[in-house]
Amino acid sequence: MQTGALDAGAPRVGLLGPLLTTLLAAGLALVVFGRFAAERADAVTAWAAQAAAEALARDAAPRARVAALAEAGDGPALLPRVVVDDPAPRKYAFLRVLRYAAHPERAGQGLAPDRDADKAAADAFGRGARRPDLRWVGGDVARAAVPAGPDAVAVVDARRAELLASPALHFVAVLAGALLGLLAWLALLRRGPSRWAAPAGAALTGAGVLAALWWGASALAAATDAAAKGLALRTTGVPAPPPVAAGEWALLFAAPLLPLVVFAVIGAMSASRRSPHRVAYAYVTPAMLGMAVLILVPFGLGVALAFTRHEHGTFTFVGLQNFVRILKSEGFALTHPLSFYFTLGVTILWTGLNVALHAAIGLGLALILREPTLRLKGVYRVLLIVPWAVPNYITALIWKGMFNKQYGLINHLLGLVGVEPVGWFSQFWTAFAANVTTNTWLGFPFMMVVALGALQSIPRDLYEAADVDGATRWQQFRHITLPLLRPALLPAIILGSVWTFNMFNIIYLVSGGQPNGATDILIVEAYRWAFEQDRYGYAAAYSVLIFLVLLAYSGLTNRLSRSAEGAYG
Amino acid sequence: MSGPRDAEPKPPVRWGTHLFLASFAVVTLFPVLWVVKMAFRPEQTFATGLNPLPTVFSLDNFRDLFAAPHFWQQMLNSVIVAAVTTAAGVFLACTAAYAFSRFRFPGRRAGLMAFLVTQMFPGTMMMIPLYHVLDQLGLLDHLAGLVLVYSTTAIPFCVFQLKGYFDTIPRDLEESALMDGASQFTIFWRIILPLSRPAIAVTALFSFMTAWNEYILAATFMSDEASYTLPVQLQQYVGDYTTEWGHFAAGALLVSAPVMALFFLLQRHLVGGLTAGGVKG
Repeated sequence: MQTGALDAGAPRVGLLGPLLTTLLAAGLALVVFGRFAAERADAVTAWAAQAAAEALARDAAPRARVAALAEAGDGPALLPRVVVDDPAPRKYAFLRVLRYAAHPERAGQGLAPDRDADKAAADAFGRGARRPDLRWVGGDVARAAVPAGPDAVAVVDARRAELLASPALHFVAVLAGALLGLLAWLALLRRGPSRWAAPAGAALTGAGVLAALWWGASALAAATDAAAKGLALRTTGVPAPPPVAAGEWALLFAAPLLPLVVFAVIGAMSASRRSPHRVAYAYVTPAMLGMAVLILVPFGLGVALAFTRHEHGTFTFVGLQNFVRILKSEGFALTHPLSFYFTLGVTILWTGLNVALHAAIGLGLALILREPTLRLKGVYRVLLIVPWAVPNYITALIWKGMFNKQYGLINHLLGLVGVEPVGWFSQFWTAFAANVTTNTWLGFPFMMVVALGALQSIPRDLYEAADVDGATRWQQFRHITLPLLRPALLPAIILGSVWTFNMFNIIYLVSGGQPNGATDILIVEAYRWAFEQDRYGYAAAYSVLIFLVLLAYSGLTNRLSRSAEGAYG
Repeated sequence: MSGPRDAEPKPPVRWGTHLFLASFAVVTLFPVLWVVKMAFRPEQTFATGLNPLPTVFSLDNFRDLFAAPHFWQQMLNSVIVAAVTTAAGVFLACTAAYAFSRFRFPGRRAGLMAFLVTQMFPGTMMMIPLYHVLDQLGLLDHLAGLVLVYSTTAIPFCVFQLKGYFDTIPRDLEESALMDGASQFTIFWRIILPLSRPAIAVTALFSFMTAWNEYILAATFMSDEASYTLPVQLQQYVGDYTTEWGHFAAGALLVSAPVMALFFLLQRHLVGGLTAGGVKG
């Protein structure tokens, strides 16, 4: 793409790229900062309300004062107690909602849940489900409700507007940082073309923006803290304790960093003279950007989570504690089903067995179907792909039903042959067998299709020549088919083994980990830690370990596949 | 097939092979037939017995399904999400794969490695951070959030497939077109893409399947029943203690039908599109 204007004289090439990039980065930073400021204000408002409500609930003196304020029509309120317990909702733990309902007429009534009323009450508190005991009512007012004794619930409203302090200052700080970076970049470029000009400029811009963000954020945090404490004091007469330094907003910082860096680097690259690469980047950027924001960033957050401990909605930084506890198998004997090593062993066995079966069955069927003189080939091929086409959670549940002890088909068949009905999910090996059967059923079509395609590209002359030389079918298979299949099958096998290692649906839905979590593989185990035990940090550490295991595995297989490609020349 | 084979008499029917393949096919189809059977009987219990074929033909389950409060809205949601995901996923994967295949630029190897490595992230554990990210973007409970997540999830695998396929397209075509004065984009649009139809069909199929069948992320990110996609609604029939098998099977049929139809339409491309580029020569 040898297009005109941008390739003209030296200064013009250098300016447009970095200018656009800096403006883009600054804009992004502003958006991020704006969201951060809003989030911070939300959090602190909510906290202020919560602190005030707790103070109310604890001491009588503030209550009297508050009652007086309420009389005057201003300030927090005390409502008669309503306790509504949501019976085990189907959603995951962190979406579970505790409801304090503003239904005075239900005070003193029993705990019988009323689903519609509960939902209506929860909705009445406005959006937001992350802090279950806090609600937003009407945009910028946070309402906290805390039980204040057997008969009352203390409800405090806090207005967010009271807590946002001079955002204009922080806006200027961010912009100044961005402009600083830009100036440095331009200065470097003016000095003449140099390899380091562009990357250095990018780094400076990035650093400038980040510094501005950091300074602005700290200033905002300090200001909102002070304002929130002031609000609590004013409301209840009781000074509020300092808020817990939530790790959450530190994690928030990780999120916008990556796209910023990506942008800066791309901007730097495009500012250099190598125009072919500019085209390449143009083609690659949309996909990479999507990946950066929606895969890399959550991954980064996930890794950050692994260094924290989660308790009742707050995250605290604990360093490597989670990893140490998992690897030391703390609290569990090594052979206990919940131990990391036991689960790792089960997972490896699961993966190896499945991949071997998939490949064997898939290849075998492909060899049979390859026979050119076989009739109805197309029909068989279509029928045999069906397991792949149907969504796997549906068939997993069907297979689970078929393995059911009482009404399952498998036991029915066994009964016809005179075998006692087997409790498939009450022992480890039978449950494991049930899982493997289901996954094999699901997975062989993929291998079959890959093998069919690979077999198609092996020229027939090789076999004819081998026939002429008197080679047997088995020799032909070993010395012609297998080596030529390797380049195509190996990537499929590697990919398939990674997928099987992380195959959540089958284990979770078919055996459900029975008996007692023994057949759980690593990823299901991690899921349970997160969503059934609420231990997000621990679960995140688990997943980091899973990822590392797979990374090591792919490093190993990388060498294998490179040698395979070499063999074909 | 040419040469001496034409002169041979027709080979005998291989009964052994057919028997084997037929019984394998029966075993393979069994669970699917079971779903069909349960969809067409009015009871909600799991069907017992050995016969996989439907004995009763009742449309009660389907009627109940259609009458559910947001069913058609949910169906539309699924269609929209899947269609947009397919379009976006194919577009993103095509351009990226083309660049990886044809250009040598700094970061190429790193990019390819990144695509491979992201396949290894335990997807279920990305749920919390993803929830957080979508929350920040304000896209929870919006179809756009789902579309974004699905598109990026499907990309790595699709890029690998397409790149492998593009690698097998000889460069002479492009070089002669370049000499004739075509721009990179013209080459991409008018030469490479039409030649890669099978591989693109496969990519589109996978993107579609990813979006249409997915249920865990949809269940996490969507809290309003009207924004559910079909698989999420389907899970409502599976309870902790009892499952409404009739309704579930009927819903399962509805969810599987489009995917299976697409599979059958495109299945001849599957064989070619998946492996071209794996074996050279």
